[in-house]
Amino acid sequence: MLLVYPTICLVALAVTKSSLAKPLNRFTGLANFTGAFASPAFTPSLWKSTIFAVLVAVVTTLLGLGIALLLRHRGGGFGVVGALFLLPLVTAPVLVGVAWKLLLAPVGGGLATVFKAVGLAGFNPLGSDVGAFVVLVVIHVWQWTPFATLIAFAALGVVRPELLESALIDGATAWRSFTTVTWPAIAPSIWAVAVLELVIGFKVFDLLVVITAGGPGFSTSLSPFVIYQTGLRGSFDMGTAAAQTLVFGLVVGAVATVVTTLRARALKADA
Amino acid sequence: MKARVVLVGAVAVALLPIAYLLSLALRPAGEVLNSSLLPDTVSFDNFVKVFDTIELGTMLTNSWVSAVGAAVLAVVIATPAAYFTARHVRGERLLTVLLASYCAPPIVAIIPLFFLLRYAGLTNGVAGLILVNGIAGVPVAAWLLDGFVRRIPVEIDEAAAIDGLSVVATLRKVVIPLLWPGIVAALLVTFFLSYNDFLFAVYLAVTKESQTLTVGLSLFQGDRNVQFGQQAAAGLLGVAPVYVLALAAQRYLVGGLTTGATK
Repeated sequence: MLLVYPTICLVALAVTKSSLAKPLNRFTGLANFTGAFASPAFTPSLWKSTIFAVLVAVVTTLLGLGIALLLRHRGGGFGVVGALFLLPLVTAPVLVGVAWKLLLAPVGGGLATVFKAVGLAGFNPLGSDVGAFVVLVVIHVWQWTPFATLIAFAALGVVRPELLESALIDGATAWRSFTTVTWPAIAPSIWAVAVLELVIGFKVFDLLVVITAGGPGFSTSLSPFVIYQTGLRGSFDMGTAAAQTLVFGLVVGAVATVVTTLRARALKADA
Repeated sequence: MKARVVLVGAVAVALLPIAYLLSLALRPAGEVLNSSLLPDTVSFDNFVKVFDTIELGTMLTNSWVSAVGAAVLAVVIATPAAYFTARHVRGERLLTVLLASYCAPPIVAIIPLFFLLRYAGLTNGVAGLILVNGIAGVPVAAWLLDGFVRRIPVEIDEAAAIDGLSVVATLRKVVIPLLWPGIVAALLVTFFLSYNDFLFAVYLAVTKESQTLTVGLSLFQGDRNVQFGQQAAAGLLGVAPVYVLALAAQRYLVGGLTTGATK
């Protein structure tokens, strides 16, 4: 039900001329799909979304695992420090956007004086194409690494300490005891985190609205934002938006399949 | 020692934007863009005024009730699901289907969900938000719990079966106690996701009595002169109790219960 009902609605919208006021107005076949690709921002957005999602999934997962290992290494529980790491994740997305936007504002922003001190007066990373994309990656990583940290930390709890001790006694290096003892125990959880982070990266939306609105130009127009704009344009062109959603869904599905296949193979090899 | 330095550095990076929000909340409206990380004059006005600007108390209550309800609902459904996906040969397929439903951008589900909830009389209330956020959280919770179930040796299940326990009893009496760190982590994650949900809340709970904090925070954005200070204050008042919750929950994350279970 969770999957089927929205999908049927989506397909129905995609093959009809639909607006918010008049859904399923008349059957139009594949015209909406032609319309979907006619929008200049759409095709590039599929590439950008894929790059964005893969990049943030890799970085957040590795960074989260690293922080979790450090927290474990310190000994004891997750503690006050661990809970501090969760704060970016529990801050409302709108507020995350506002905080970073005001920090980076070239005139009067929180970091303006710092930028000036290091010789970058008026530095405005959001002003350039690449800069804006990098800023979004950094903010997203900042916000979603705690998710990986939390799960990795909980997963590390099932590593048997006596196995680590015997590895130590056998003279194994830290890296070797990680790959032979720790990794096989936490691999299923870490792969799950990577898959979820990938999907979350594909779905990024709030940040774009608050921080870049897809700009400068189309440089940070990722697919969910383009679809949202299509849906709002003119008399709420839901038909084309639905067609774009289906195409985007196929891309997400294809990338996710690659990653889940990698996961299944890795878990089978470990077992 | 080196590890400690890296950890402190990481905390500093994680906290900088939040500390900046605090500094925004503590300064008068005229000082928002003062080029500095710190306020020139400190005042607590924003924390007082924000209660007049939006219905902060109601919003916080709605956010908490709907997020707690959604987290519990998601994990209650996802725990048996994850037990199936990790143990059963066909579980892998269910895991894929769950992921597919999570892949869809939530905006596409809004219109169908709206009609569904209106039909059930659940629009504009926390019950509807619990249901929608809870179901949306199931795939996440199931994927996370699957990883934890896989680390429980199958021999434990087999021993329970030999001792005459049914599958349900095995899950309840043997597997779930061993899953606690995973369950707590999944509860926290699904709680955070619902607590910060904006899209469902803004479409499905529009009345003043049913609005959540994320919607309240977005109300500031529409004004000609955005009251960043008050907005930050409201947001921080939303973050603080969640931090307390995370602190209270963290001791269940330690785990390590399976040690020696199959000797």
